Amino acid sequence: MPQQDGHKRRTIEGDDPFQWHAPAPFVELGLASCFSFLRAASDAVDLTATANMLGYDAMGIADHNTLAGVVRIHSEAKKAKLRPLIGARLVLLCGTQVLAYPRDRDAYARLSTLLSKGKMADVEGGWQVKGETHLTLEMLAAHAEGLQLIVMPPEPLAVFEAGLPRLVQALPGMRHVGAAYLYRGDDVARITRLDAIARAHGLGILATNDVLYHLPKRRPLQDIMTCIRHGVTIKNAGFLLEANAERYLKSPAQMCQLFSAWPHALRATREVADGCAFSLDDLKYEYPHEIVPEGRSAQEELERLTWEGAAERYPGGVSARIRAIIEKEFALIRSKKIARYFLTINDIVRFARQEAVPPILCQGRGSAANSAVCFCLGITAVDPEEHDVLFERFLSEERDEPPDIDVDFEHERREEVIQYMYAKYGRDRAGLCATVIHYRPRSAIREVGKVMGLSEDVTRKLAGTVWGSFEGQMGDQRVKDAGMDLSDPYLRRVILLAREMTGMPRHLSQHVGGFILTERPLTQMVPIGNGAMPERSFIEWDKDDIDALGIFKVDILALGMLTCIAKCFDLLRAHEGVDHDLASVPSEDPATYDMLCVGDSLGVFQVESRAQMAMLPKLRPRTFYDLVIEVAIVRPGPIQGDMVHPFLRRRQGIEGVSYPAPGPEHPQDELLKILGRTLGVPIFQEQAMKIAIDAARFTPKEANELRKAMATFRSRGTIERLQQKMVGRMTERGYDEDFARRCFDQIKGFGDYGFPESHAASFAKLVYVSSWMKCHYPAAFACALLNSQPMGFYAPAQIVRDAREHGVEVRGVDVDFSDWDCTLEPCGRGFALRLGLRQVEGMRAEAAHRIVAARDMPFADVADLKERARLDRGTVRRLAAADAMRNMGLDRRQALWQAQGLKDAPALPIFEHAAAGDEGTEPVVALPAMAQAEHVVADYQTLRLSLKAHPMRFFRRSLKRKGFSCTDELPGMRHGQKVSLAGLVLVRQKPGSAKGVCFITLEDEAGVANLVIWPKLFETWRAIIMSARLLVVKGRVQSDGRVIHVVAEGLENGTDRLDALAQEKVPATFARGDEVIHPVPGQVGGRRHPRDVRVIPKSRDFH
Amino acid sequence: MDRWGRITAQQRSMPGDDVPVVLVTQGAHGPVIHALSDAARRRDILPGARVVDVQAIHPDLHVEQADPQGDIALLDRVALWARRWCPWTVRDGMDGIVMDVTGAAHLFGGEARMLRDIATRFAMQGLQARLAVAPTRGAAQMLARYSAGVICGPEDVALAIAPLPVAALRIKEDTVRLLQRLGLKTLGALMEVPRVALMRRFDRMAAEVNPMVLLDRALGRMGDPLNAPEDLPRWLARLRLPEPVIDPAPHLDALAGDLCGQLAQAEQGARRLRLTIYRVDGEWRSRDVALAASSREAAHLVRLMRGKLEGIDPGFGFDLLTLEALRVEPLALHQDHLDGRRDASADVAALLDRLSAKLGPDKISWSTWVESHVPERIEGRVAALGGGATEAPEVLRERPLRLLEPPEEVAVLYAVPEGPPARFRWRRVAYLTVRHEGPERIAPEWWRDRPGTRLRDYYKVEVGDGRRFWLFREGILGDGRGGDPRWFVQGIFA
Repeated sequence: MPQQDGHKRRTIEGDDPFQWHAPAPFVELGLASCFSFLRAASDAVDLTATANMLGYDAMGIADHNTLAGVVRIHSEAKKAKLRPLIGARLVLLCGTQVLAYPRDRDAYARLSTLLSKGKMADVEGGWQVKGETHLTLEMLAAHAEGLQLIVMPPEPLAVFEAGLPRLVQALPGMRHVGAAYLYRGDDVARITRLDAIARAHGLGILATNDVLYHLPKRRPLQDIMTCIRHGVTIKNAGFLLEANAERYLKSPAQMCQLFSAWPHALRATREVADGCAFSLDDLKYEYPHEIVPEGRSAQEELERLTWEGAAERYPGGVSARIRAIIEKEFALIRSKKIARYFLTINDIVRFARQEAVPPILCQGRGSAANSAVCFCLGITAVDPEEHDVLFERFLSEERDEPPDIDVDFEHERREEVIQYMYAKYGRDRAGLCATVIHYRPRSAIREVGKVMGLSEDVTRKLAGTVWGSFEGQMGDQRVKDAGMDLSDPYLRRVILLAREMTGMPRHLSQHVGGFILTERPLTQMVPIGNGAMPERSFIEWDKDDIDALGIFKVDILALGMLTCIAKCFDLLRAHEGVDHDLASVPSEDPATYDMLCVGDSLGVFQVESRAQMAMLPKLRPRTFYDLVIEVAIVRPGPIQGDMVHPFLRRRQGIEGVSYPAPGPEHPQDELLKILGRTLGVPIFQEQAMKIAIDAARFTPKEANELRKAMATFRSRGTIERLQQKMVGRMTERGYDEDFARRCFDQIKGFGDYGFPESHAASFAKLVYVSSWMKCHYPAAFACALLNSQPMGFYAPAQIVRDAREHGVEVRGVDVDFSDWDCTLEPCGRGFALRLGLRQVEGMRAEAAHRIVAARDMPFADVADLKERARLDRGTVRRLAAADAMRNMGLDRRQALWQAQGLKDAPALPIFEHAAAGDEGTEPVVALPAMAQAEHVVADYQTLRLSLKAHPMRFFRRSLKRKGFSCTDELPGMRHGQKVSLAGLVLVRQKPGSAKGVCFITLEDEAGVANLVIWPKLFETWRAIIMSARLLVVKGRVQSDGRVIHVVAEGLENGTDRLDALAQEKVPATFARGDEVIHPVPGQVGGRRHPRDVRVIPKSRDFH
Repeated sequence: MDRWGRITAQQRSMPGDDVPVVLVTQGAHGPVIHALSDAARRRDILPGARVVDVQAIHPDLHVEQADPQGDIALLDRVALWARRWCPWTVRDGMDGIVMDVTGAAHLFGGEARMLRDIATRFAMQGLQARLAVAPTRGAAQMLARYSAGVICGPEDVALAIAPLPVAALRIKEDTVRLLQRLGLKTLGALMEVPRVALMRRFDRMAAEVNPMVLLDRALGRMGDPLNAPEDLPRWLARLRLPEPVIDPAPHLDALAGDLCGQLAQAEQGARRLRLTIYRVDGEWRSRDVALAASSREAAHLVRLMRGKLEGIDPGFGFDLLTLEALRVEPLALHQDHLDGRRDASADVAALLDRLSAKLGPDKISWSTWVESHVPERIEGRVAALGGGATEAPEVLRERPLRLLEPPEEVAVLYAVPEGPPARFRWRRVAYLTVRHEGPERIAPEWWRDRPGTRLRDYYKVEVGDGRRFWLFREGILGDGRGGDPRWFVQGIFA
């Protein structure tokens, strides 16, 4: 699944110009990175690279009360040939600032524990606010053992001198006072005085430049950050800002010159640096002991469980082939010592399957998930026997990275799994990863603009020129389009600063599901902080940090489709008497594939999007592997690499299958091995990588570089260099240059949203299972889909409509029949779908359950319902408005009328009589009958769907007279025929890969039609396209026999007619425009929940 | 009878007729549209929509911040102004004015002409008004909004409002939807439903959102009196002269005495005064004076006014003088010192008043502190009437007592690589550096200085005779911003 966060981590790349340096006479220790949020302005890459260039051999890192940035420094420093000294700048509540550098692993554990304590509870012991750290001198003193402490003196020195005795007494281990030469005018006097003060207390001064940025030219950004932090504009910031740009990373030579009068201050830095024996590599990962039973090694336990599982999976005996695969995998696991990892995952899956009541459906995916071992353990349901091939990519030995298994759970029940983890390992040993929230171009421009004193209108316009993505840097053209004058140097400066700001970390947030588990308390490894939500805490490192340290994490993710499948299995068990799980669904069922081949896939996992639906009839999947390809092919990678059409042509037999071959002196079948499964066209990420290795003869190291360059923040130069290398080498070896270039383009595409085969396989399994359900049990499937909302692409209205088209009888919500969930009711041939009370807008589950509990006999009238189910008036009215009292013989209007007359007070017998006498008998009121059209509108308003009729039906007669066609007439039309259509807008898309072409799906009472709008027309009709809910189209039919499009030639907004239906103004709901105008490639699903659909199907736009 | 004025027109400079303009307020999810121009309305933009959504559709949208407080203030003022037609006027919610014109219409030639008059005068103010007259306040409110221009007699209220939608009652949104779902879409339909049935269903609602109560009020079945706020007090002294005179000066004392008496009674002090003379030929002239601090000292006011009299052209003389306090501030009664001394600050304020009155308000300014690292920027100026003295910020570093503005360049006679020149010449005198401290480095303020501005390294320098200078070097050798750095003296320590 492509990650949506989009930010690519900056990292040092390419052939490094760095070299190891001899120990320098000075080491910078007072250095803050951008993880001292909004205090310092340089990131790990800049700091480490600059440090090495300046001739440092080692470099300290001390961020403001956090260790969040140390892993980045650690891994970049390795590349920049530096020794990183890990520490933190502790800022106590009293304002004292102390740099703390742990000498060894134990001291580091104390430092981390100290920070965790400050982050998890405030001084009074209450729940700490997110992002705050409260430390006191006492807390520091208790954890000070093994820490090298350097106190940073505040101004004025007299205050510092007065407080120093207390500090020295509390922290006997403290040896140094930090001294900085910052061109303040009185530096010489000040440092001399500090020296005297330090001596008087048995301490020594230590030189530092109190670094906030790597180069002087970063000062403006740091000033901006200061302003953001204080919420002031740059003009009013005054003395909050530094007077000069001296707090940059100075070279050892410069520092030696500045401190030439105090050589002992320089020596002190060297001593502290040499005293730090700790490296983050020492955080060897220790797995929790619970995983392995006493007396057995992890490997033995894994093998035992695997064979046990294998016996279950293959009741007929394990074939020799599978046995060989398993043995091969065991060898790999043994060599990489990762058996415990598999056991940990197995334990979680076992909990979900066996301990949770009822069992939670789950499935693993990821590079290691589609191994035979995982199949035997039950982590995945993709059987290596049936679908050969996948294990090839299991784990490569060259790739020195932890295996990757993500486990998806039912989205409504993931919390149970998380709670299980906390319960089993304790909160101090299990933790969620953080996600670093970065400044994005839009937020950067907004904040920078604010500080620079631009009006909100201007910043909004500037921000409006960049839409969301990280790659989309602010183009100058776009700024000009917004009516800004770029020649204005001030504006230019703002934009430049915003560009610098982009990518800076802003704060930490909780990762969706990355868990790490440890043997020792987690706080000894990394500080834990509180989340914004109560009872949520997460560690300070994100998943890249965890990976960089080689610590294994388990991804526990939520997947809506699993909820749906689980619910469907339950329904089948209860009503149809069929008992299935993911692995036992009959495989390779022809009827299921028949259904998919005609593109009938609404509601099915993954392949329900418009692009996928259009692809299905072309691809015509007949086997499981076809589905794997189907899932992977409609992605930016293959589309960018222009691999889709060649594949389709070969698949349809229009083009012969051939394999590009190198020159005759090389083995001719090297691509056959890689591309055999996909008809000679590279489709998966790993195929493209393998081509780089086999055909372009990339060494594993180069391939790794290629992969990383794609997966991380990269410069154009690197890409070009790699492209030249790959294309050059391939053509050298006799390949067609065009082919080589396409392969590279595809790798570039994968860089954005890679989709490896292993993921595709796991997803394809769910595609197959959900299709199978839809094919054979449409009622149960629709029911489960509705009960799992919100999920998927489609709103309930479309799901219900699709179910009805498949012959399912759908019955309306009724207090006498409906449960909270949608249910199945027996009817003539099979089952009818009864909509549940959950469809009623604003209905609460408890009220629904009370209705069900009180329903021993039908409710007599509205008052009876209210009384027996103990409902409040609001709920009764809501039910009445939803027309859920038909069984009482009340239509919507009568029910509402009665409901409105109810009293909310509890019925006390004493007052009943009095009340009755008071009001007298109710006169019969003849309310006007409710028109069908009004009913339909009210249905949409209260249920988001209507079973009575489609809104378009009410216009049909007048439309027919005007010569409009219905969507069901389209198949009978010939190519190029003129046609007029009118319908509700379901979906608008403008996918990035379609070069500005806009697609609209229209719905009328007979079906849907797909509109194509060319870019030129899009600009003309933009306002209509973006706002209309009822669209009137004139155009031409374009048909190739299977897929029918209508190419629009004229559009008209008919929304006001929709409003006229019920003679009331239906409030307009604009679709969020940004996805249409500025699509984010790979973005899945509209940003809004399907639940937000308020009135008549608001269209949702997605890609 | 009621009246209705509606504020929709923007009183700002419009960017062109075809550009849609919207005013926005902060909504729960970003700014939402509050009001819009005709061009925007033509494009089907609706109030209440989110600005980002609308901007996506209409990229040329011109967005301005709405100012609801300002709108209300304006409406309040307009309501008072509308008392030219009748004494009972009151602001109605956020967007209307209700006027009880009973017994006033005939003064303007009947209701129809009165409406025309109102519409014209509103238009002259740049405001667009939707008006209606009806026997009850509720009915008039509805008619003004839904069928403007109607004049409705006492007998046909029910008829006039029957076709209006129920939303005209200004009830809550969900009540409107409920009534619509019940098929009661117009007030006429609602009126036909038996009272008992309605009673049963709506008796719990608060009166101001209860459709039944509102309907009753509109139909006149229930009293709905208008509670108009009192007129704002006016501080005005008036002097009628038995025969025209040319020079107003001798009469100022009496006028000021009268006004100050009024002010003293109310414990107010004037900040803004206007003197108006009404000439015998029907013309009038006026002069305004602003004060730095509120005052009701007659002598002071007279002094201020006197300076202003010169420009007034009395024509053939005048026979009426008014002195009005346009803006007042609370000013407690206070006693002068018993020993006859006066409060010094009062004198300063009085001086400022006199100077401003004489020279013009923009000529007199206070010096004020500006937090800036650049030494000469630490002092700024504000208009004297606009602000007072501010506390000095805590200056982080020692600064010389005297700053030279602009800094004066010195000739370096003998330079040393680091630190200040060993010998330099300033104002034709050569000095020999004995001791120095520094440098204090002050970088240009990048957000306001032009690119290429060089940083300054300041040194405190003591010369042979014990005098101490504040020297700075502009730029560093090799900073890429010009040639050799130059030296300046910017200050002298005591």
